[in-house]
Amino acid sequence: MAVDEGERSFRHPLFEFMARMPGLDVATTTVDKLLTWGTTNSLWMFPMATSCCGIEFMAAAASRVDLDRMGTILRGTPRHCDVMVVAGTITVKMAPRVKKLWEQMPEPKWCVAMGSCAISGDFYRDIYAVVPGIDTFLPVDVYVPGCPPNPEELMHGLLRLQEKVRLVRAGKWSDQESRPAPHEHLRAPSIPRLTDPDRDKDLSAQQVASADGLGFADEMNLVKIRTATRSTPPKTEEDP
Amino acid sequence: MKFSTATATVADPYLDISTYEADADLMVLNLGPQHPSTHGVFRIKLYLDGEVIVKAVPYPGFLHRGVEKLCEKLTYTMMTPIIDKNDYLSPMMNEQAINMAFEDLHGSAVPRRAKYLRTIFAELQRVASHLVWLGTFGVDLGGALGGGTTLFMHCFREREMILDLFEEVTGCRFHYNTHMVGGNRHDIPAKWAKGVHRVIGVIAERIDEYEILLTSNKMFVDRTKGVGVIDAELALSLGITGPILRAAGVDHDLRRDAPYHAYDEVDVRVAVETAGDCQARAIVRILEMRESLRIVGELIDNVPEGPINGYRPTKTPLQVKITKGQGYACLEGPRGELGTYVIAGGDNRGASPYRLKIRSPSLHAMSCLPYVLPGLTVSDTIATFGSLDPVMGEVDR
Amino acid sequence: MIGVVHDERVVSLLRDRFEVAGFPDDAPPLVGAAHHLALARALRDELQFRLFGFVVASHWPGKPAKKEGESGVAEAFELAYGLRSIGKGSGLAVWRLCLAAGEHAPSLVELFAGADWQEREQFDLVGVRFKGHPDLRRLMMPEDWEGFPLRRDYPINTPCPPWR
Repeated sequence: MAVDEGERSFRHPLFEFMARMPGLDVATTTVDKLLTWGTTNSLWMFPMATSCCGIEFMAAAASRVDLDRMGTILRGTPRHCDVMVVAGTITVKMAPRVKKLWEQMPEPKWCVAMGSCAISGDFYRDIYAVVPGIDTFLPVDVYVPGCPPNPEELMHGLLRLQEKVRLVRAGKWSDQESRPAPHEHLRAPSIPRLTDPDRDKDLSAQQVASADGLGFADEMNLVKIRTATRSTPPKTEEDP
Repeated sequence: MKFSTATATVADPYLDISTYEADADLMVLNLGPQHPSTHGVFRIKLYLDGEVIVKAVPYPGFLHRGVEKLCEKLTYTMMTPIIDKNDYLSPMMNEQAINMAFEDLHGSAVPRRAKYLRTIFAELQRVASHLVWLGTFGVDLGGALGGGTTLFMHCFREREMILDLFEEVTGCRFHYNTHMVGGNRHDIPAKWAKGVHRVIGVIAERIDEYEILLTSNKMFVDRTKGVGVIDAELALSLGITGPILRAAGVDHDLRRDAPYHAYDEVDVRVAVETAGDCQARAIVRILEMRESLRIVGELIDNVPEGPINGYRPTKTPLQVKITKGQGYACLEGPRGELGTYVIAGGDNRGASPYRLKIRSPSLHAMSCLPYVLPGLTVSDTIATFGSLDPVMGEVDR
Repeated sequence: MIGVVHDERVVSLLRDRFEVAGFPDDAPPLVGAAHHLALARALRDELQFRLFGFVVASHWPGKPAKKEGESGVAEAFELAYGLRSIGKGSGLAVWRLCLAAGEHAPSLVELFAGADWQEREQFDLVGVRFKGHPDLRRLMMPEDWEGFPLRRDYPINTPCPPWR
């Protein structure tokens, strides 16, 4: 489900004012740099912490990793915050509340999806009660994968967000952050499974032999598979 | 069994609000579901007369992830890493609770070394969990525990030390997936015991500092003493277990009363307080941390040699098949009796359970709110809530 | 770990006063719904099982007859209740109730306050109704949710617009 991102190119009122004043446009670039510096180094965060990722989020804010040195402060109210960090599973009961809290945050605002539950629902994604990824209803700026991500990874995600804010303000940002796609080799096994008729016969025989040597052949049910692979008819060639 | 406790006035949770004084100007206050001090997502609807609560209606379920339904689709081996996410402050206990139930039904024996390791992991995890509770309780109470987030920072510093120990064993910082039917998956590395001794030495010293904060800080005492009293009768009737029950004066601890793992080989001294208020719960948890550290120190040097798993190691996971039977196994988690009721068999040929129910202590603890909150103020609500130490992943599952 | 079959006092109580005949090895004994409340009261007051344990409801869907003339299996619900005794040698008493579809189970709220939320949860997820419960609302799911998720015939990926 796509998200209507709405008006995302936020123009600061100060710039509007300065553009109208003759002679001040020279100062605009300098002030813009100053504002960008200020924005990136004071990303106040709203912890939308629901489950386990929330604990790692707390650990990130605590003494070892210490997000404070990046200028990020946790605030309990959406009206003070720039970044909403959605840390944890969002259920269908909670999702309207998350949306409402997001709408209460003042512009400019950014959203970080922390953890695989917030990104895609993870192993809960097929369950009746769970939203399969918060990007079905929120515009996500940065994805931080992991279950849960280490505090260091969250910090890296925030550094990426800072970089993104710099690029957007400089007008150099072109790509939307997209949900990280799994690698090809993660989608399907690179070696066909034992039951696959396309599998290399020598490989199966080699594996059975090595398991035989260890004495695990019975336990691994390889005897059955061995007979099954032998009786499988060879695949007919499509090209003559 | 007689209890010597302060009796509390228990409010009527089913109070019809329309029968309350007609000229009272009642206000409805929603606490949550996103509130920094609800420890997750939990909503309480408070009916206020002035600042005093007349009725409290809790609404859980904002983190209901359908774990029990998911478990009906998974095999017994695949469940452990998912159950980890239930009570996310003590994943070790979750794994142990569910695997103990499977072992009972499957008839697997656990080697003695694995039992020792499980006990050590469980006790270290209990300390880590209580440290998170203490840190967040400090944040909940604002300046009462050394100002703002001070205690939070201190407690997380100690918790990281325990997580580092677990990371050395399992490779994971948070969700371990280290228990399986028949034993453990990872053995402890060489010289791990040395690290454990160092950590428990440091933490034991710092717990003394925290105890001074709890007992001698006037602000803390004022906010917690006599607040949110849960008496023994109410706690038993609601099924509340763990530190909350022991703070109400009931001497009940499954580690001593129905021993599992290696607890029958150590002497577990149960911490009991009689006041039943927030301060008593805090003190019981502090004493439990100290006791856990003592148990770890006693066991870590005497871990017996031998296998860590009842089955021979194979590359493929063990295929657990349970074709019939029902069983319940429980252990004493950081929040109380954490149990698993499994109905095996049914129509899926024994590969996965027919129905699995997790008896979560947090859900029982939260159900006391309509009885305890009326008569308190809103600020007392936060203190009471924090002292119950709920984990929403476990309340809602 | 099923406590009831190990505890002699509970077994004799069940056999003598509540007409329980079968004590299977691998499951708690079945008790008639008429004896449910009296059994819980006797366990609590006489045998000191005072700590409320758990309520587990499970759904056993009906099966149609395979051939004509044979009778199929009717839809049924099973409830397992657990109580615990406190102190040294703490034990568990578990018993089961079997209910036909549409039958109401007697609620334990008047004896144990903890049964309130537990029975609400089982009503919410499995759809068992409890007679005598003062406040039988949904606990976990939103109040306007349709269906009972933990029933066996409820698909795990039930569509939930607009999220799925």
